[in-house]
Amino acid sequence: MSHGHDDPTLHPEVQMSTSRGYFSGFAISSILMLIATFLVTSRAVPPFGLLMVIAVCAGIAVIAQIYFLLHIDISEHNIWNTVALVLFMPLFLITIGLTWWMFSQLYLHTMIMPGMTH
Amino acid sequence: MSSHASNVDPKTAELWDKSHYQHDVISTRTFGYFMYLLSDGMLFATLFAAYGVLSYQHSYFGGPTPAEFVKPWYTFAQTMALFFSVLTYGLGMNALKHKNKSGLINGLIAAFVLGVLFLALDIHDMMHLASLGITVATSGGVSAFIVLTQVHAAHIFFGLIWILVMMAQVLSKGFTTDVVGRLLTLRMFWHLQAIIWVFVYVFVYLWGYMS
Repeated sequence: MSHGHDDPTLHPEVQMSTSRGYFSGFAISSILMLIATFLVTSRAVPPFGLLMVIAVCAGIAVIAQIYFLLHIDISEHNIWNTVALVLFMPLFLITIGLTWWMFSQLYLHTMIMPGMTH
Repeated sequence: MSSHASNVDPKTAELWDKSHYQHDVISTRTFGYFMYLLSDGMLFATLFAAYGVLSYQHSYFGGPTPAEFVKPWYTFAQTMALFFSVLTYGLGMNALKHKNKSGLINGLIAAFVLGVLFLALDIHDMMHLASLGITVATSGGVSAFIVLTQVHAAHIFFGLIWILVMMAQVLSKGFTTDVVGRLLTLRMFWHLQAIIWVFVYVFVYLWGYMS
């Protein structure tokens, strides 16, 4: 991490970008989104299974983008970005999950029932 | 000590040394910007939560649901425009690695044009919905849908302005520490929009369509 130079283009955050990484991130996420779109429009899979499949597609696409595009890894240079992101994820999921759970319980107990399912 | 101090004129003395010996300015800024982007992620968390609780059948108040107005392949075209934009920005940054100024500018131009395409498709979609009478005022569910997707679109809009600014700065200032640092933070910002878009596309557009 020591930079004994003044040329900013030699900074590790510039130097760690590779065409192969960008193409990999692009290809993986594009193919997964294509699969998800195709499955949803063809309605070949029953709804709950379909939701699981597209959720997995989204998960892998996001992981591929975070790894290949944001360079989130355990290298010395990026470890603190990774730590911050890992600590961020529970906050993100808890915010969405708890809100959703609270409102679904509210709807359930106040009997606004027409179609509780999505 | 005292003889040295007598030579210092307090009116002109510099209290801070402006040069940075081993302190890494670019890394400090990009880490700080990453913190900011994570808090931006929390903004999206609240909007996803709002959409989650407002996407029940009764949230649409008997009106149109995303199942009726989402066109998956149209939005897939938007997805590809954004992914290509992110790819070309990345390839531009790869040119920066080799100090290739024209390569970087070409990458920024391509990223800009594709980003404009994404935004144009989004605005066209929203105008189409408005022409069908589907607006934020239609129902709570549609309101949450439009606010979430348009907050993402607003991020793209400001990112596009930022890309234009960076093109001007690269051409006028060259590869200074400030400019390179901003290119790196813009890269982070632009890539994060693609990551957020994956969630928006899959859990709002596709899931809305199949519900």
